[in-house]
Amino acid sequence: MSNRFIKQLKAELPFWVERGWVSPGGDRAIMEHLAGQEREEGFLIHALAILGVLLLGSGVITFFAANWSEMAKLSKLAVLLGGLWLAYGTAGLLLTRGEHPRTGQALLLLGVILFGANVMLIAQIYHIEAHYPNGVLLWAVGALLTAFLLPSQPAMAAAIALLCLWTGMESLDFDRVHLVFLPLWAICLPRIHSQNWRFAFHLALIALLLWSLFTFFSLKAPSGLYLAESYALAYLALFLGGMLMETHGPLAPFAPIVKRYAIFAVLAGFYILTFPQIQSWDRGQGYRAMASGGWVLAFFALLGLVALLSLWHRQRTLAGQRPSHLIWGQLLIATGVVFLAANLFIGGHWGGLVALGFNLLYFSGLVWLIVAGRETNDEFLINIAFFFFTLALVSRYFDTFWSLMDRSFFFMGGGMLLLAGGFLLERQRRRLTRGVRGKREGAQS
Amino acid sequence: MIRRIGIILLLQTLVLLAMVALKQWTLSTGKEILLETQPIDPRSLFRGDYVRLGYGINRLRTPELDGDDRFDREQEIHVVLAKGENYWQAVSLHHERPSVPADRVVIRGRILNIQEGIWNGATKKQEAGRELRVDYGIENYFVPEGEGRALERPALGEKVDILVAVDRFGKAGIKGVLINGTLRYSERMF
Repeated sequence: MSNRFIKQLKAELPFWVERGWVSPGGDRAIMEHLAGQEREEGFLIHALAILGVLLLGSGVITFFAANWSEMAKLSKLAVLLGGLWLAYGTAGLLLTRGEHPRTGQALLLLGVILFGANVMLIAQIYHIEAHYPNGVLLWAVGALLTAFLLPSQPAMAAAIALLCLWTGMESLDFDRVHLVFLPLWAICLPRIHSQNWRFAFHLALIALLLWSLFTFFSLKAPSGLYLAESYALAYLALFLGGMLMETHGPLAPFAPIVKRYAIFAVLAGFYILTFPQIQSWDRGQGYRAMASGGWVLAFFALLGLVALLSLWHRQRTLAGQRPSHLIWGQLLIATGVVFLAANLFIGGHWGGLVALGFNLLYFSGLVWLIVAGRETNDEFLINIAFFFFTLALVSRYFDTFWSLMDRSFFFMGGGMLLLAGGFLLERQRRRLTRGVRGKREGAQS
Repeated sequence: MIRRIGIILLLQTLVLLAMVALKQWTLSTGKEILLETQPIDPRSLFRGDYVRLGYGINRLRTPELDGDDRFDREQEIHVVLAKGENYWQAVSLHHERPSVPADRVVIRGRILNIQEGIWNGATKKQEAGRELRVDYGIENYFVPEGEGRALERPALGEKVDILVAVDRFGKAGIKGVLINGTLRYSERMF
């Protein structure tokens, strides 16, 4: 499907809904379907321009770093600021004329890179020392300024990557829960939405998940289990947020992206909960104790949020818009939530049994994802289910046979399992995704 | 479009120049103090020659100093310095900036870590007390390429001292490097 056709369709849809040719929910479904099909125009030119900019930027920095000592401070400043002005100036010229918009955007990115290089090099020239993540923050703010004042997706992408680097440094190097990241991250979203920057939105979600991972490590909770449970619920809330976005016209095109990352995160959360070790033991303190009041409170607050989002979604969708597989999915989620809640009040002595329950739930969830993928013609759901299925199989093999088998037999067995299992799983996955693709193409024609 | 690019350039240039101006303000208006460097930790980065400087005031033993006693990691600390025979030394530690007479200086730092128990090299025993590891933003110094070694590993009998300016907010900056009491490197704006 060509981009031109998709653009025409998007422009026509509101008119078709107004005329009653397409039902109000139908336009949403069409938009969601189109969201996965639109391709970046001139991707190769864009990629080459960006690559050129990165090479040029690193070359300039390396050149000056090598010849630094021969230059006076004033010359250094002139070179740094001159480079910055030249990059932005040329970008402005190209973008104003409208002749080479992609090269213009690439030069804007060069401007952003040079701004960061200038911050670091001026700090070096003038022996400015500070809390070093602040240098990255300053760079990110410079990139954000460019992304906001000139609609520039490369600058926004750079800003998000830098914010992610900043929060990683603050969380991991300084061992702190870095909440300040969230408002800055949130500031990016309205711009991403208004400009329909899908690549930047992908990066924003990756940054959010990475931040949650950094926070997981910097929280240093004595029992990783309750934290993992709370995370699973929080990611579930993110998924429900994605489902709600689907029901809200202007946000609908971004909903599939949110849902996909959330599904990945929920599965990762539940995957951790399938391990008997995490269900049984506290870090270096013997059997896991029941959850303290603080954890119970945090868990039920998150549960309240999940319930609220579910009810809100239910209120915004008609019964007819909820297919049967969705009802099964809701039942599965409800079972998962009951498991999570009950586990707060079960000590580590029952860890093995609880882990068995979570394994059953996890594999049922994967089967449901495959069914849902077939019903909704969504290859992603099938692929991710197979990915986590393989991951869990390999983990269970390690869990079970690592201590039982001779190492040579363990690796030989593992190799055979991977070869045979990989072949069978891949064949099955291909068969299913081919079916989905066929159904989708049939529906299109 | 051109106007917006102009705003971006103006703001980004102002930020970069402000970095220079703030540093220069500290060096121009700050009170000069001389600090003795501890053995220098040799390092090098891709950015050129760069030395890591250690001072006596980087390690502060709370039982030996007046002022506040309880501090946390990553907390800001205000250290009152007084001139000794040749060098300035810490006399008291504070959470808030104290007012001091004209012959003293307050330098602001950040606590990197806190060590419980102090190792006494003379008795080779661990003694009760607490040692704070503090950074003041004057621990790194970039020198022209090829000259870092002279500072990192001074020749036998050579003494490296650092001339530091401390402004009225307690912010410090390296103003010069002295080798055997002679100014070898001096920081200027341009």
